[in-house]
Formats: sequence, structure tokens, C-alpha cells
Amino acid sequence: MKRIPIVQGQFRVVDEPDVMITTVLGSCVAVCLHDCIARIGGMNHFLLAEPSPGNFTSQQDMQRYGIHAMELLINEMMKRGASRHHLRAHLYGGANIVAGLGNIGSTNAAFARRFVQTEGIGIGHCDLGGRHARRVEFRPYEGKARSAVVAESPPIAFQPRLFAATGDIELF
Amino acid sequence: MPAASAIKVMIVDDQVSMRAMIRRTLQDLGFRNMRDKGSATDALVAVKADRVHLIISDYNMPDMDGLQFLEAVRKDPVIGKTVFIMLTGSADRDVVQKAAALGVNNYVVKPFAAAALREKIERVFGELT
Repeated sequence: MKRIPIVQGQFRVVDEPDVMITTVLGSCVAVCLHDCIARIGGMNHFLLAEPSPGNFTSQQDMQRYGIHAMELLINEMMKRGASRHHLRAHLYGGANIVAGLGNIGSTNAAFARRFVQTEGIGIGHCDLGGRHARRVEFRPYEGKARSAVVAESPPIAFQPRLFAATGDIELF
Repeated sequence: MPAASAIKVMIVDDQVSMRAMIRRTLQDLGFRNMRDKGSATDALVAVKADRVHLIISDYNMPDMDGLQFLEAVRKDPVIGKTVFIMLTGSADRDVVQKAAALGVNNYVVKPFAAAALREKIERVFGELT
């Protein structure tokens, strides 16, 4: 079985058997979509739900939001032949792991539920909330998904900002 | 300087959530006169019946996509000159070129920030008040 790991901000769509998409989630959410007729499935992994009103976020930041992650996933699935009417979603993640970070996980979980309901997509397996990280495994061709609590923290996918390589840099 | 509140807008996207987000973004920019449709086919009928100043349409839609919609608008003798801004994915460079050939007024790459949408609208209408 071929395994495809994804991290925050990524998504994958697969239309062949013997492939598993995997990810590890904390407060992030992964939505697994499956079209049982076309036998196409895909999974995304997003950090935040949607920008707050009046938030003039940069384009780079916008890519972390679920609303765009969902669109990218649905568009790619439809491009491969899936039909919106046949989609079914499995939802995972949205844990509130770190005290003091507010309820990002709950907000993400609520967004994922609201999104699929608003778009008329049926919900299959749903494992959202809690206080622990999860590992998610999804077989996109078969549409089978499962999650398990893990002790490890999910990887941090933020890209560290680099100094511009101009002039001398004083290290201290 | 046109008032954003005076511009009649049609938003076209097959995702309910995306239409709602575009509406909220436009509302933050001062737009008040908005309507939306989930398909280009429905939007075409609607803008023929009730003309708008600005169409903001997604490219990636089932049935009639954004390019086909743009072409249909441009061919129409009544609504042919309606301002048309296309929303595209980052990998759709060829789509942008085709849209330019068909007479799109501007395009916005998804995901977009409110400032980016405002800038593209202002390039067509001038500074909004």
C-alpha cells in the first residue's frame, strides 16, 4: 500500500486503489471527501476556519483557511470526475490541545461541520474535538477512513522566516 | 470616484460558503447591492433580466465554467459590456490568458484577501468611496 503523508495547508486527491493518505492533527482539521460512484477521494488539512470580517489578511495567510482548503479539494475532485451530489465527508481533528490558545480547535471543528452541511455534503465518520492529537488514515479509492489518538504532537508546518541575504548579518 | 454602495454586483460561485465569504468581503468594502447564483447558467438568466454593473464569477464550476459564462456575456448585445472579474485558482495561468482574450476586465487569484479584491475592482471602476 502506498502511503501519502500530508501536512497543514496541503491536500491530495487519489483515484486509484491501494493508496492511503495520512496526516497528524492537533487543532487543525482534515476533511476526507469520497465519491463512491467515481471512486475518487481526497483529504485536506487546514489550520484555521475562515478569516474574520474586516480581516485584510495576506494571500499567503489565506491559504491556511478551511474555506479555501475545501474549495481546492472539491475543485480537484470534480476535475478528476467526481460529482458534488455523490460526495460524502469524514471529519477529523479540531482538538483543543494547548491551554491558552483559546478554542481554535472547536472553531475549526464547527466550521468543518457547518461547511459540509451548507454545501449539502453528507457526513460519514466524524471524530472532532477533545484534547488529544489524532492520526488519520484515509483510503481514498475505497472511501474508508479511521482515526486514532496519538501521544505525539502534530508537526509544526510554519515556515521560519529567513533573513534577507543582503549586507552583513550580525549573529548573537 | 464611484460609491461602492451604488454598484450592483452579481456573485457567481458553485459553493454556497464561498459566495457567502465573497458577499461578506464586498460588504466590508462598502458594497450593498449584491445578489448571487450557484451556477453560471442561472446567473446569465438573472443578469439578462436584471442588469448589474459588475459580475464576479468563479472559473471552476460544473456545467458552464467561468470562461463559457464570460463568452456568453460578451456575446450578448445588451449585457455584453458588463464589467466581469474572474476568480481563478493559482494554477490557472492559461485560463487567465483565455479570459483576457475573451475580454475579462480583471481577475483575482484564489485564495484572495479583501485588499486584493478591492484593488482589482478599483482598477476597473476607479477609487471606491
